[in-house]
Amino acid sequence: MPSVSQPHTSDQPAVATACGASTQTAAPAAAREGKSYWRSIDDLADTPEFREFVHREFPNAAGDLLESTDRRQFLKIMSASLALAGAGGLAGCRRWPETKLAPYAHRPADRAPGHPVHYATSMDFAGVGAGLLVTSYDGRPIKIEGNPQHPVNQGATTLAMQAAILDMYDQDRSRHPINVGKESTWAEFSAWAKSHFDALANGRSGGTGLAFLAEASSSPSVQAMKQRVVARFPSATWHEFEAIHNDSVVQGATMAFGDGAYRLLYDFSAAKTVVSFDDDFLGAGTPASVKWTRDFAAGRACDNGAEPSRLYCVEGIVSLTGANADHRLAVRNSDVARLVAWLASQLGVSGVPASLATLDVRSLAAKADLEKVMQHLVQDLKGRGPSIVLVGDRQPPEVHLLGHLINRALGNFGRAITAAKIDGAQGHVAAIKSLAEKINSGAVQTLVLLGGNPVYNAPADLDFAGLIKKTPTCIHLSDYDDETSRACAAAGGSGWHVNRAHFLEAWGDVRAADGTWGITQPLIIPMFDGKTAAELLSLIANEPVTTSYEITRAVFAANVNSGVVGDAEGRWRQALHDGFVQGSGFAAGAAPEVVGSDPAQHFAALEQRLAASSGEFEVAFTPDAGIYDGRLANNGWLQELPDPIAKLTWDNAVMISAGRARSLGVKSGDMVTLTVGGKSVTAAAMIIPGTHNDVANLALGYGRGEACGRVGKDAGFDFYPLRTSSAMGFAPATIAKASGSYVLATTQDHHPIDSFPAGVGTQERLPTLFAEADLGHYREHPEFAKHHTHVVTRLSLFPEDHPFQTEMIGADGEFVGEYAWGMSIDLNACTGCNACVIACQAENNIAIVGKEQVKRGREMHWIRIDRYFKGSDETNPSGFVLQPVNCMQCENAPCEQVCPVAATTHDANGLNVMVYNRCIGTRYCSNNCPYKVRRFNYFDWWGRGPLREQPGVMLQVEPDYYLKGQAKADPMRQMAMNPEVTIRMRGIMEKCTYCVQRIMRARIDTKNQWVRDKNLKPDDPKVQDRKVRIPDQSFTTACAAACPARAIVFGDLNDRTSKIKAMHKHPRTYEMLEELNTKPRTRYMARIRNPAFSAEHSGEQGGHGAPAQTTTNTGGHG
Amino acid sequence: MGRYHYVFPKWSNMLLPAAILAGLTLPLYAVFIVAFGFSPKTLEVGFMPHQPVPYSHELHAGQLGIDCRYCHNTVETSDFASLPPTQTCMNCHTHIWKDSPKIKPLVDSYTTGLPVQWERVHQLPGYVYFSHTAHVTRGVSCIECHGRIDRMPEVYQHEPLSMGWCLNCHRAPDANLRDPKLVFDLGWGLERDRKTRLTDGAHWREFNNLNPSQDCSTCHR
Repeated sequence: MPSVSQPHTSDQPAVATACGASTQTAAPAAAREGKSYWRSIDDLADTPEFREFVHREFPNAAGDLLESTDRRQFLKIMSASLALAGAGGLAGCRRWPETKLAPYAHRPADRAPGHPVHYATSMDFAGVGAGLLVTSYDGRPIKIEGNPQHPVNQGATTLAMQAAILDMYDQDRSRHPINVGKESTWAEFSAWAKSHFDALANGRSGGTGLAFLAEASSSPSVQAMKQRVVARFPSATWHEFEAIHNDSVVQGATMAFGDGAYRLLYDFSAAKTVVSFDDDFLGAGTPASVKWTRDFAAGRACDNGAEPSRLYCVEGIVSLTGANADHRLAVRNSDVARLVAWLASQLGVSGVPASLATLDVRSLAAKADLEKVMQHLVQDLKGRGPSIVLVGDRQPPEVHLLGHLINRALGNFGRAITAAKIDGAQGHVAAIKSLAEKINSGAVQTLVLLGGNPVYNAPADLDFAGLIKKTPTCIHLSDYDDETSRACAAAGGSGWHVNRAHFLEAWGDVRAADGTWGITQPLIIPMFDGKTAAELLSLIANEPVTTSYEITRAVFAANVNSGVVGDAEGRWRQALHDGFVQGSGFAAGAAPEVVGSDPAQHFAALEQRLAASSGEFEVAFTPDAGIYDGRLANNGWLQELPDPIAKLTWDNAVMISAGRARSLGVKSGDMVTLTVGGKSVTAAAMIIPGTHNDVANLALGYGRGEACGRVGKDAGFDFYPLRTSSAMGFAPATIAKASGSYVLATTQDHHPIDSFPAGVGTQERLPTLFAEADLGHYREHPEFAKHHTHVVTRLSLFPEDHPFQTEMIGADGEFVGEYAWGMSIDLNACTGCNACVIACQAENNIAIVGKEQVKRGREMHWIRIDRYFKGSDETNPSGFVLQPVNCMQCENAPCEQVCPVAATTHDANGLNVMVYNRCIGTRYCSNNCPYKVRRFNYFDWWGRGPLREQPGVMLQVEPDYYLKGQAKADPMRQMAMNPEVTIRMRGIMEKCTYCVQRIMRARIDTKNQWVRDKNLKPDDPKVQDRKVRIPDQSFTTACAAACPARAIVFGDLNDRTSKIKAMHKHPRTYEMLEELNTKPRTRYMARIRNPAFSAEHSGEQGGHGAPAQTTTNTGGHG
Repeated sequence: MGRYHYVFPKWSNMLLPAAILAGLTLPLYAVFIVAFGFSPKTLEVGFMPHQPVPYSHELHAGQLGIDCRYCHNTVETSDFASLPPTQTCMNCHTHIWKDSPKIKPLVDSYTTGLPVQWERVHQLPGYVYFSHTAHVTRGVSCIECHGRIDRMPEVYQHEPLSMGWCLNCHRAPDANLRDPKLVFDLGWGLERDRKTRLTDGAHWREFNNLNPSQDCSTCHR
């Protein structure tokens, strides 16, 4: 039986068959006049495979049992399990086996078992800090939230922050130092290190031959320890490297300001026009993007006469920013510079060469209205008020210089953009290149690597593995025994891997995007005695303080408390409590005078660069939305998270446009060979509509082998070999069809909301699933979203006296009766970042199912982000749509009515409750759910490893699966689970519960306090008359808490002053599938687009007689 | 006898009536066996495992009058009443009976830091979430679910703790409610007759606005 990892004939349909048969898909698309929203090429082409997903709720379900070739084996296992079930179940006189209770011998003070506590801490991601609030249950951290008081986070998080909890409980985490392949201990290492570095220091060479390669870190402790090291070894060199590098930014700033050490801070809520040139500020997943997303969402506010901002995006790949743009132009990566130069000349920036000042439309983009869009762009920048022009870090430094000059010319510095001076900035690629030179010249004897994984992700032309071999002594501090650690261990001489402490286990400090000083405090002692970078450096520097706690306190005293009179200890405690130091952000102001008064030299360089680019095919290297540059590749949640645009799980692919695929004669899943500068990589192709024809998007971080860990190994393709130091952002390439194909597991066609007969009516219905309109249309018809569907009648078999419908007025005028939980998702704010998906997975113990099961549509995410393309042309979608969908908690729930065992019922507060132990797995409820939000446990997911592919042959499970009995996950995985949520086993249906465990916690705590007060103060009339009420927003669901855009709002609809009440009454609010009379408690608020001019497809929103060119649904109002 | 010699013996005439009788009574018997024999009232009530340390609630809570909360100190704020850490026991037993062999497991635990492995008496399945604080704060005394613990030399399970048993109280809580301040006074109010008990309970239910939920989401999360 073929294993999944070998390419076999893909069952993906033919988008384009042979070369030249390019009209094959065009014909069906054109024939389906009215196809304005579609999920994938299969959907657009309406292939049988897509219909399969639409038609069958559980496609290929029967396939599992039929795959076995050995009937005897099958019968053997089934009979064994039956026997054991009988024997085991009836054994013993008690219902279940006896268990033991083992309390503490010495319980720590204030520790109440089963009582979660919250600690504020911080994390550093790719050199920028973030403020977090972590929930600790019985002495171990289980959930990460954003710190509500932190100026940047304000309660929100990114994917990487949510997923960090799983990293700590990763079974593959390194557990001890390794010395040349043998396990060792910290004691042994420190003894060796002491003698080694003492010898180096006593040699009086000043530390010649010592070099450091560190990943970017904002930690002042690491900085302080670095200075101590440099003091002890003045000749030592320090190099900083990140795979997602900053060279263009730093060099561009140097060209513009004379000094590269500036950090730009954007205020997207103040900007009326935002222009992004290949800068994915919304989808980057870095700590700063929390603030950008929040501000951007605030800037899109269009109610009460507010003027929303307008976003233009010019890019070659399809990014989240592009998906959210009002106008998106697909141009080659290398041609972005031309557009920036043209824009600069239009805005009066002097010195732009004539060759760059003209806009050659035909060569730039296939889109016919590029010139029109750019003209409007210029108009908007000039006339709409404060604006922000961004240049992405893949673009060359000269383009960044142009960006700064443009912003200067527009007067944006000091308004929507401020600049903060930081301590120093080192170009990453330049740094690692200089290190490589030093090693090659034999000048480095001892190399200390702090984090990072350069053997995997350093520029390919440097051959870092060879460099390690050339260095006699290498020490690598990292979380995993990864490629670099193994190379160090294999090096001749002494090679060390030192296991690093996770940030949840260690003391430290960070600086956030705005400079706020954050404290990292541990929530658990280092599980494997790991050490932090600061601790390692202090050992090397022979410092007296060597624990991370002492170092952090000393650095805090020296910096934050220095020169401050008064209660130093109090300040520390306050900072520790808050998680950060109030008011410690960078002092940001207008950027310094742009030094480039004669940028001619830089423009000449740019001209040369553009002339050299042949205008042919290019590849762009992008960080993966989930696993970033590969550091999070062993994180099962992030591997299984569908990419926001591609909806691809467990792999990456060569993402190309439909046109390019057709000309190559490939379809999604076929293998292609990419050649960049002589090096070739063969990988699977995937069609992403909207990508420029001459661009391929290569997501980094995949293709790692054994060294990655059991979860991420063999996932995807490694594109780092194509990335050289001269072309780190994008590079010219050639692409050719290769033989073979690859199975890509995407979720884009899963859980489609269809109608009967299968697929018919979906198109008519889709504009009502996702309501959007242009600003003008919204201003004329504020309630357009409510009039999308024509609801003929709302007859129901059930009494229609729900509290919030009849608006019962209570005595105090504010709160009436029971709680009525509701949720609102503002599509105008949602950018599709997927933070809610991982937050929900972390909170609710949602299992990882692996690639094969994802392919069958069995991913378990309770909230999914539906992504649709718009338009009728697959090569050129006119827009993108991202919509979170979770259980609607329908008041008139179709699922409740069909459960034969009443496992899903309605409670008094409007929740559609799922009782796991009653469920017998009929799956009728999921069949009946029109939103397709229910998830079924086909296997005992927790009894399997969180692997990409399961090792078993029979039924895709391990051989002892049925003999193991009750679900038993690895102890490390068990520690990551949230004890407040039931673990579901095989055969049980589950779905979003509005985080019922949080609701119950809030209800119990509120009522308890009320009862206590009432009984303590019987004579106080105010206390006696007070009603029981949970204050609005005192708790919320995991998804709402994590959302950086604040798109999800949860609360009590019976509280008339609550936020959710206001949302539900809002004119933009509508219900999804309203005509089915399910009466969902989750409502959506329509998205308002703000294009500069009406695009040809803007009339598709239907409603009051608006010319609906592409749909036939006009809402019943003529 | 005679020419018509039947194949079946005479007693086989009884087979059909016997089968019918058995078919009626045996299933009924089996049902009763299962209903009574496998009910929590049979299987759970009276469960009294042997503990590693012969701790007597009757002595400590009963005769000595130590309040429940001295040891089970998280019962008012947490979902779990929690067993006391060894250091709670040693608060007294570093002085009292410190050389007794019965105390030895405690001393060992205290000095080594390893916990005492108690046998769990009251247990609910993993998919049920019970909150102690929700109950004791609102006037449900320990004895309603645990019986007269202060009279047990060895703890045994007094109530079946089945879902039906829980629902009985949730549907009609009056008989089991009292002043929240008197929750830990285990012997209080037992002399009252049923009518008084119900009236008292009703008063406290109204005063504290208690409305025990019968929704599934209350316990099944």
